Amino acid sequence: MTFVATVLGADWQTLADAFGLGGIYALMAVGIGLVFGVLRLVNFAYGQLVMAGAYALAFAYERGWPVWVGIILCFAVVVTLAVAMDWVVFRPLRGHSPAVMLVATFAVAFLMQSIALLWFGPLGKIAASLSALNQPWTISGVDIRKISIVATAVAAGCLLALVLLLGRTRVGLHMRAAALDFQTARLLGVRANRVIGSAVLVSGLLAATVAVMLTVQSPLVTPDFALRDTILVLAGVVLGGMNRLISATLGGFAIGFASGFLGGALPTNQSQYLPSFLFAAVILVLLIRPRGLFARAGQQAVERV
Amino acid sequence: MRGRGRLAVAAAALLALALIGSALAATSRSTAKSPIVIGWAFDGSGNMAPFDGPALAAAKLRVDQLNAKGGVNGRKLEIRTCDTQSNKPDIAKACALRLLGGKANVIFTTCDVDLAAPVVRAAIDRGVLAIAPCIGTDQMGPKRFGAKGRLAFSFGNVAQDEGSAMAQYAWSKGWRRAGLATDTVIVYFRNVVQAFQARWRQLGGKIVANETYQSLGGNNVQNAVSRLNDVKADVYVTSTAGAFGALSSFITGLRTLGNNTPVLNSWAGDGTYWLPANPKVTNYWFVTFASCFGDDPNPAVNKLAKEVKAGTGGFITGPSAIDGVVTAIKRAHGSTKGSVLAGVMQRFKKVPTISGNISFSAKLHTVFGRRYRVIRIQDNVPKVVGTIVAKVVPKI
Repeated sequence: MTFVATVLGADWQTLADAFGLGGIYALMAVGIGLVFGVLRLVNFAYGQLVMAGAYALAFAYERGWPVWVGIILCFAVVVTLAVAMDWVVFRPLRGHSPAVMLVATFAVAFLMQSIALLWFGPLGKIAASLSALNQPWTISGVDIRKISIVATAVAAGCLLALVLLLGRTRVGLHMRAAALDFQTARLLGVRANRVIGSAVLVSGLLAATVAVMLTVQSPLVTPDFALRDTILVLAGVVLGGMNRLISATLGGFAIGFASGFLGGALPTNQSQYLPSFLFAAVILVLLIRPRGLFARAGQQAVERV
Repeated sequence: MRGRGRLAVAAAALLALALIGSALAATSRSTAKSPIVIGWAFDGSGNMAPFDGPALAAAKLRVDQLNAKGGVNGRKLEIRTCDTQSNKPDIAKACALRLLGGKANVIFTTCDVDLAAPVVRAAIDRGVLAIAPCIGTDQMGPKRFGAKGRLAFSFGNVAQDEGSAMAQYAWSKGWRRAGLATDTVIVYFRNVVQAFQARWRQLGGKIVANETYQSLGGNNVQNAVSRLNDVKADVYVTSTAGAFGALSSFITGLRTLGNNTPVLNSWAGDGTYWLPANPKVTNYWFVTFASCFGDDPNPAVNKLAKEVKAGTGGFITGPSAIDGVVTAIKRAHGSTKGSVLAGVMQRFKKVPTISGNISFSAKLHTVFGRRYRVIRIQDNVPKVVGTIVAKVVPKI
C-alpha cells in the first residue's frame, strides 16, 4: 500500500476514503450485475429501490422503532418493490428489445422518484440506522471509518454468497444457464419466471443492504437518494465487464475507488469537475478494453444498450 | 313647436349628462374599490416548496392583517396563486401568463433565480414588478435580466451581505483562523463563502483551508471533511442547505472524527429537519432571517412562525416582501405601475418591515442591511444567541 500511495501521489487518508467508497459501490454493482447477468437488463431503477429502503429506515427512525425493526422493514419494502417491479413492468415487456426494457427502467425510476417527492416532500428525512459505524479506527494517524471496512466486507461476503448460490445450487445452475442462452435454457426445462424471480429477489436483498450501508454515510434521505451513485455504478459495471459477476463487482469497486481518489487528489477548486474526469477515464478504458477492464481474455463483448 | 323641440333637446342633453356622470362615478368607485392583485407563482411540490410554501402562507396572513386595517390607500390586497409544479419552465411561464392575464399588479416568484427566470421575464416584459421573497444573490435585477431587470427585486438577503455578517460574527467570537468549505452547486452558496472570505481578510482574519464539495448527490464531501480535519482552524465556514444532502454528512463526518470545531453556515443551513440523531449536532451556528423556533427577539415573528408552522426562518420573507411592496405603493401615491414602483424601491433605505429594516440600491436589488438572527445548535437544540448587521457589503 505504501508503494501504491507513493505512486499515486496521494496520502493515506485519501486512499482510505477511496477504499470505503469503492466498497459501497462494489456492493451496488453486485446487485446490478446479477440482474444484468440473468435478465440482460440494465436496471436504471435500482437506485430507486435503494431510495425506497432508505425511506423505510427513516420511517422507522421517525417513530423511534428499534434499529433491527427498521432494517427488517427496509428489506421487506425493497424486496416487495423489486418483485412488484418485475411483475408489473418487466414481465409483460419480456421478449421486447433491450432498448425497450431500458426505457422502461428509466420510466420506473422517474415514477418512483416522483412518488417519493409527493409522499415525503423535497426536504428529506433522517435515517439513523447504524450511525455508530461512522466512528473511525485510527491506524498510524489514518482515520478509517468502520463503515468503509464493513461495506467492503459485506460486498465481499455478498459476492461470495452469490458465487456459491450460482455454483452450488440448482437455482444457481438455472440462472447461469439462463444467462448463457435464455431461450435454450427454457427449451431444456428451466422455468424462466422462477429463475428471473429468484434473481430479482436476490437483487432486492442486495439493494436493501446497500440502503442500510448508504444511510450510514448519508443519513438524509431525499427523492434523489442514490441516484447519482447508481449512474456511477452502472458506468462501473460496464467498465469492469458486464458478462461476469466478479468483473462487474470489481468495476463497481474501481469506479468508487477512482471517484474517492480523484476527490482527494484533485486540486480542491477543481472538485466540481470530478465527474468529467471520471467519465473521461471510463471512455478511455472502454476504448482500450471494450470488453471491460476485468473481462477474461478472449471473452466476447456484451451487447450494450 | 320650436319651444317643444328646445325642451326635448334640453331634456336629452340633461339625460346624457346624467348618464355620463353616473358612468364616470361608477368607474371611479370601481377603481377605488378594485383590489391590488398579487399574482404568486409558487412551487407546491418541488425542491423550492419548503421555502415558497411557508413564505406564501405567512404572506397571506400578513395580507389579512393589512386588509383588516383597510388595505392600501383604500384598496384591498388580494393574493392569487398558481402552482408551478416543481418550477418546470413551461408551467412556470404559463402560470405567470395566467396571473398576468388575471390583471395581477405585481408578480411574486420562487426563491431561486434560475428557476424564477421564466416568471420574472414574463412579468418584466409586460412592465410588471417581479418580486422574489428570498432569492439570495445579486442576480435578481439588472445584473441578470438587463435593462428590464430594473423591475426585479428580491427580499432575500444578498449573499455579499450575509457572508459579511457571518465574518463579523465569527470575528466577534474571537475566532481568527477560518477553514472554508464551499458547496459549489449554486451561485448563492459560492457567493456567501466568497463574501465571508473578502470580509474576513478585511478584518485581519486568516484563511487556513479552502475546500470545495458538491451536494445534490455529489460523493466528495468526505474528501473535504478529511482535508479540513488535517488543519487547525477556529471555525469552519460553509454555505449549504440541509435538503441538498451534504450538510448531514459534513457535520457527522467532522464530529465522528472527534473534531468539535465550530461550524458556521448561512441561512441555507437553517432548520432542524436534517439533524442526524447520532452523533447529535453540536457547536453548529448559522445566520438567518428570523427564528422559527419561538425565540425570535420580535414577538410578532414568533406568533407568525407558530401560525404557519415554519421550518426555517425564510417564512418571514413572504410578509416582509408584502410590507415592502405596500410601502412602495404608498410612496407611489397608489400607483401599481412597475416602473414607478421599481423607481421607489430602488431608493429604499432602512425601510421597516416585519423582518427588520431593509435597503436596496440601483446595483443591489436584493436586501442588504438586515439584522440577522444568529442561531446556535447544541445537542440538536437550536437557540438564538444574538443578532448581527453587516457593516460592509464587500465586493466579490
